[in-house]
Amino acid sequence: MKSALDQRKRCALPRYGNYNCVFRYLLEKGVNVKCILPPEITRKTVDIGARNSPDFVCVPFKTLLGSMIEALEAGADTLIMPGGACRLGYYGELHEQILRDMGYEFEMINIAEYGDLGKNILKIIKRINPKAKVSAFLMAALDAVKMLDYVDEITAQMYQNCGFEINKGEYKKAYNRFLSDMFRAESRNDIEDGYKRVKDAFAAIAIDKPEHPLRVGLLGEYFTIMDPPSNLYIEEKLADMGVEVWRWLNLSNRQFKENSDRNLHVRIRDLCRYDMGPTSTETLWSAKKWAEDGFDGLIHVKSANCTPEIDLMPMLQRVGQEHKLPILFQNYDTQTSDVGLMTRLEAFYDMISMKKRV
Amino acid sequence: MEPRSIKVGLPRAFLYHRYKDMWKAFFDALGVETVVSAPTVRADLDNGSAVAIDETCVSEKIWFGHVQQLIGKCDHILVPRISSVGKERIFCTRFEALPDITRAVFYASGQSIVDYNIDVQKKSSEEDAFIDLGVKLGFAPREAKRAYKDALRADAKIWKQRVAAEEKKLTGPGMKVLICAHSYVLEDSYIGKPVLDFLRENDVKAIRADICDRDAARRKCAALSPTCHWELNCEIMGSAALRADKVDGVILMSAFPCGPDSMVNEMMMRKIKGVPMLNIVLDGQNGTAGLETRLESFIDIIRFKEGLL
Repeated sequence: MKSALDQRKRCALPRYGNYNCVFRYLLEKGVNVKCILPPEITRKTVDIGARNSPDFVCVPFKTLLGSMIEALEAGADTLIMPGGACRLGYYGELHEQILRDMGYEFEMINIAEYGDLGKNILKIIKRINPKAKVSAFLMAALDAVKMLDYVDEITAQMYQNCGFEINKGEYKKAYNRFLSDMFRAESRNDIEDGYKRVKDAFAAIAIDKPEHPLRVGLLGEYFTIMDPPSNLYIEEKLADMGVEVWRWLNLSNRQFKENSDRNLHVRIRDLCRYDMGPTSTETLWSAKKWAEDGFDGLIHVKSANCTPEIDLMPMLQRVGQEHKLPILFQNYDTQTSDVGLMTRLEAFYDMISMKKRV
Repeated sequence: MEPRSIKVGLPRAFLYHRYKDMWKAFFDALGVETVVSAPTVRADLDNGSAVAIDETCVSEKIWFGHVQQLIGKCDHILVPRISSVGKERIFCTRFEALPDITRAVFYASGQSIVDYNIDVQKKSSEEDAFIDLGVKLGFAPREAKRAYKDALRADAKIWKQRVAAEEKKLTGPGMKVLICAHSYVLEDSYIGKPVLDFLRENDVKAIRADICDRDAARRKCAALSPTCHWELNCEIMGSAALRADKVDGVILMSAFPCGPDSMVNEMMMRKIKGVPMLNIVLDGQNGTAGLETRLESFIDIIRFKEGLL
């Protein structure tokens, strides 16, 4: 129920990795609505989602549906769902239909309906809150992009180093502190302070990294690779074994840095002539780059039934064969268990470490 | 025109079933000899499964089986790439990647694969694509353009007849069932034909949703489900919505695990009401007994509902 003091709309985006702090900042500061944060994704979220979803749709659909239900239960009255190039573009509409059939009442803002995001962003903002000020949104957007950059930078730094810390848990502690700072940031200053604090904290941590550590690259599908609960914290698990974990695909790289796919695509012309859909160019490009950089292994992370990622697996196998590079194909569905993943990762680790020693 | 000694192989799978008339007219006009792979049998699915990533759809496994049939039997194998055919009119990502996947899978065979690329959103229209194909096969752009125009006309004529025949089935007595499936599922002799055969044996008229007035169907679909942009699914959904009240039952049929179908079929079940609906997912199974039981009971339900049982 809305409190008498706060009559703003209560908007929610489903949970997506650590990025909800960015969404929250953008909505509260830029569009002036209240942002409801759905709880972190758990087994329960996936179960609720899977129970109400079609059978063989890709897993992120089920996870996001579960997260939307949890957001509605937490008091949201407006749901916002971004669109995308593959099945993602149809998610919003089917989510809405399923939720309405379940009896929920809410307003749905399906960004896929608006087509080109760049042209229609102001329309979307006015739809969320007719009284929103464009200037305020632009200011908040600049800060939010900065925050997104910081989150991705710190996350990358964390998993490349935390496997080698001398006192276990120091990185994690500083990282969690940083995330909670970002979730509570009210201004650009707060963001910069939080960033500076975590940078200082990271610099003070003693690490013992060998000259040539084991390096593993993660590549794969847009949602699963960026959402730690969905990939069963694969980055953390790997890093804990004493591995440098690399991941190119994150929101800031994908959306703001190399936003011209063509620039990446020229470098994989020998593998495929055409663009093969959503993140396939990025996946193949990073595989090739890391293979040439002498990485010790790659892990292909994707949800079951992800069409574009299945399509590029033959090329990925070719990269592996040509460069003699081990690739672990890790597929997640609603049943994947923690223990099973651990066994596979341990075996993979043993294999690449033996290969390195020989 | 003087026939040139080129032989192009057409795998009898996927978009062959949608574009066969057009391809035939196009290659005939250029005087190119074509060879089509034999209708699907179990062995094709097995051969395809052996080379495919195990998670791909049944239709793609069948596709690989057909490509394998043609290897060494022709100069080039034709693999179309269709990404988009207009603003917000896209194809499944699989069709976007098909030439590259096929090349990667049959990399070692040395077989030449020729493709054409339709991607209207990136300024490559169907006409450009066919001219490009002609040029790749060694013809002048003008020859290719003329052949394309001929093919377009021939295809439109045949299509009009097929639509008229399908519409005619909607009138008249007898039980009528609308089948919603991609043409490459329905026309495939291994997975789709058993269903059509069974319905015919049981005196049920099967009307195909994918053979329809495509523009009207797309308009209907845009009203029903605005963000459904998959061209093939859009046609099927729109056509089903237009015809649902003229039939006794609707069968949704998809090949496991078809990406667009997994969502659009769910949407159809939620949007199209008031008519019995059966959702069949076809897997590469050996026997048809399970399938027949389901179809039989569906027919019984319709008869029971209409007081005929």
